Amino acid sequence: MTNLSVSETSRALRAAVAAVAVACAVVACSPVSDSGGGTQSGDNQSAGQDSFGAPADPAAVKQGGKLVIALSAEPDALDPTLSRSLYSRYVFQAMCQKLYDIDERAQVVPQLATALPTTSGDGRTVTIPLRQGVRFADGTPFDSAAVKATLQRHLTNARSARKSELGPIDGVDTPDAQTVVLRLKQPFAPLLGALADRAGMIMSSRALQSLGDDFASAPVCVGPFKFAKRVPQNSIDVVRDPNYYEADKVHLDAISWRILSDASIRAANLRSGDAQVADTVSTQDVASLRQDSSVSVLQSQSLGYQGLTINVGNVDGVRTPPKPINRPLAQDAKVRQAFEHAIDRKALVDAVFNGVHTVACSPISPASPFSSAEAQTCPAHDPGKAKQLLAEAGVQTPYTVTMLASNTPDSLRLAQALQAMVKDGGFDLKINPVEYSSLLDEQDRGNFELLQLGWSGRIDPDANITNFVGTGASQNVAGYSNPQLDTLLAQARQAGDVEERKKLYGQAVTLLQQDDALIYLYRQRNLTAVAKQIQGLQVFPDGVIRAAFAGYTR
Amino acid sequence: MARYLLTRAWQSALTLLLSTIVVFVGVRALPGDPALALAGEDRSPEALDAIRRHYGLDQPLPVQFAQYVERVAQGDFGVSIRTGTPVSSMLTTALPVTVELSVLAIVIASVLGIGAGVLAAVRRGRPAEWFANALALIGLSVPHFWLGLLAILYLSVATGLFPASGFVPLLEDPVDNLHHIVLPAVILGTGLAAIIMRQTRSAMLDSLSSDYVRTAKAKGLRPRAVVTRHALRNSLIVVVTVVGLQLGGLISGAVVTEQIFGLPGFGKMTIDAVFQRDYPVIQAVVLLTAAAYIVINFFVDLLYSVIDPRIRVTGDPA
Repeated sequence: MTNLSVSETSRALRAAVAAVAVACAVVACSPVSDSGGGTQSGDNQSAGQDSFGAPADPAAVKQGGKLVIALSAEPDALDPTLSRSLYSRYVFQAMCQKLYDIDERAQVVPQLATALPTTSGDGRTVTIPLRQGVRFADGTPFDSAAVKATLQRHLTNARSARKSELGPIDGVDTPDAQTVVLRLKQPFAPLLGALADRAGMIMSSRALQSLGDDFASAPVCVGPFKFAKRVPQNSIDVVRDPNYYEADKVHLDAISWRILSDASIRAANLRSGDAQVADTVSTQDVASLRQDSSVSVLQSQSLGYQGLTINVGNVDGVRTPPKPINRPLAQDAKVRQAFEHAIDRKALVDAVFNGVHTVACSPISPASPFSSAEAQTCPAHDPGKAKQLLAEAGVQTPYTVTMLASNTPDSLRLAQALQAMVKDGGFDLKINPVEYSSLLDEQDRGNFELLQLGWSGRIDPDANITNFVGTGASQNVAGYSNPQLDTLLAQARQAGDVEERKKLYGQAVTLLQQDDALIYLYRQRNLTAVAKQIQGLQVFPDGVIRAAFAGYTR
Repeated sequence: MARYLLTRAWQSALTLLLSTIVVFVGVRALPGDPALALAGEDRSPEALDAIRRHYGLDQPLPVQFAQYVERVAQGDFGVSIRTGTPVSSMLTTALPVTVELSVLAIVIASVLGIGAGVLAAVRRGRPAEWFANALALIGLSVPHFWLGLLAILYLSVATGLFPASGFVPLLEDPVDNLHHIVLPAVILGTGLAAIIMRQTRSAMLDSLSSDYVRTAKAKGLRPRAVVTRHALRNSLIVVVTVVGLQLGGLISGAVVTEQIFGLPGFGKMTIDAVFQRDYPVIQAVVLLTAAAYIVINFFVDLLYSVIDPRIRVTGDPA
């Protein structure tokens, strides 16, 4: 789910909230500055810097207390096999630990494993050593058998969302209670990234046996907290788990996630003290929250992207063989390049998102260990060149293009800014706002010329690229196909070495920018507001709020 | 009376069946696909097929409808596509919240509206009427979400008098429950209070200038008795009709109010379900709302005869 889908409130309500925000600025409810609050010291960073939050100092936090986190959207099923929503990961972070986790530099680190996996020379055997003396929340021991049962459920459950993430796993062996060996049909580099996400969350075998497909009704994993209660569409509560292997590092008694889909309401709850943390702060609210001395704003650049997809061959729907479309934008890469040259990304980000988000020209985040100079090259904003390319392509200007966009305020403001911008490059952009679910539908059917959507991002670059641009890939809604690119991506998938993968992804980005079926625009910053009385809350580039080891200041 | 009840009963059943069909077909005619909405970012064909199979969305429409009606007849509303929880259990948590919110809003609106309406009619042309009229104008023209946001800003954020969001079930802690729900109820009730005030005022003005009130005054009844026992009682018939008609508006108002205050009610559930194309939830919600309308209208009709004994209910269409 992209962050744009977050706003599931009615359009009217959103518009109203915006109106209130404007009115508030007029009546001076709170000082609004567009300086980005760069003068603030401490953890109040300026718009351009990342701030992940620091671990809690055990001497400075008190034991106990309940943390309330205002979430922008409801998590789906709390079942690591079935979960598909970004927001479930926030809750899982506190109660379902994984074989691996990531750190603030998006590097994979062991969590329930004791070390990074060892991979055999042919890349087809992956050995994972496990922690000893660990117990699930129901008291049963965590061992290799539990890991095997979980992975097999991921691979065989009919509705599993993990199957494709785990790739070509052929079998799981358990030579002893503390070792798991994965046998692969062919080398699969993205596996480690998957095991640092939901695929690596291990479930209690006893709970799986008793609950089966209803595991989400009372999930049991290894974690600092255990599941207590869920009120659908409203809240999820977890309480501290005495069985946790490092229980002395846990300070809070309980965490409650409360679903408040409107950004202004989340900010109000934070100010009133009804919540201590608010996720997905609006870029419009950041400046005023930074002025608030009782709140700090964490920001981390996401691993995903927001971009424009051009329909170059999706006629019969996604995953069907691409067919030619009789439109200059679809037929001629020059027209698409012209469109890209007409966009001033920096001005776009500054005008629409107060400079909080960052410019993106490729699917690889500069925060990723797989980034390179090639992956970060960016076609310049040049309306003159755009017009020249259009002339070369023999297209009459102004050339009219219709864009589908989600009908949320952020998305519409972006669309309108684009509309004004590409005019100088010889394009007449028409905006067609559509409600989110309908947008997904139109996208998959291929009923669009150009559309704006994004991807929340994964640690491994393969998960951010191949599914979207590989020929016939599950989410290649552009109907794009380039055999040369397919070869590069396949090589990168099987390459064991980071440097080699880096090089291959750099080459892939060059090809992507030549063909321009996907024009990457910007990368979101995950903005999380935290009350200053809370210490130890962290948000890493995966965007997940890490609240498990936080505590109230003494 | 028995014949009247019987006629109403089969009319109601027919209305319910028709609304079920309309909703069933209507939600499926919406662009968008629940499997797509649920699949989120992972939209592989196997995943979509598995979701459709699991929720029976791969069956032909008439088959789906027949299965649905059969299950509903047994009191089973199905399972939410979004959260996997049974719809009936979602309803049992959401319904009391909205019922409590609406009832409290009606009580607040009636007390305020009738009181202000009577005052405005009795004190016609004096500051009390101007004041009541001004309040009514504000109540009618200022939308709920605006009032709600202002209330959160000033009564929660600035002064901390009320919580900005959240809900505590009535049975768990009645005092805390009231603390959480009073503010949303007042906000929700403002529009209705204004309407009731306007209606009460004009009906009261009518009654006050009628012959029976003059007679009552001439008999030497105390002014208070004239107003409450004669004028107000006859005016209430209009007010009851208005309250009945406005209940629907109250439910749509609750959608916004619940969203703003984060109350786990019916309205919030409906909005979320529509955006997620959660068919079973939308169907159950609409079916129940239709049923509620039918029941409310029925009671409003019955109330007429209680308030004004000259109105008799009969089985014959008027």
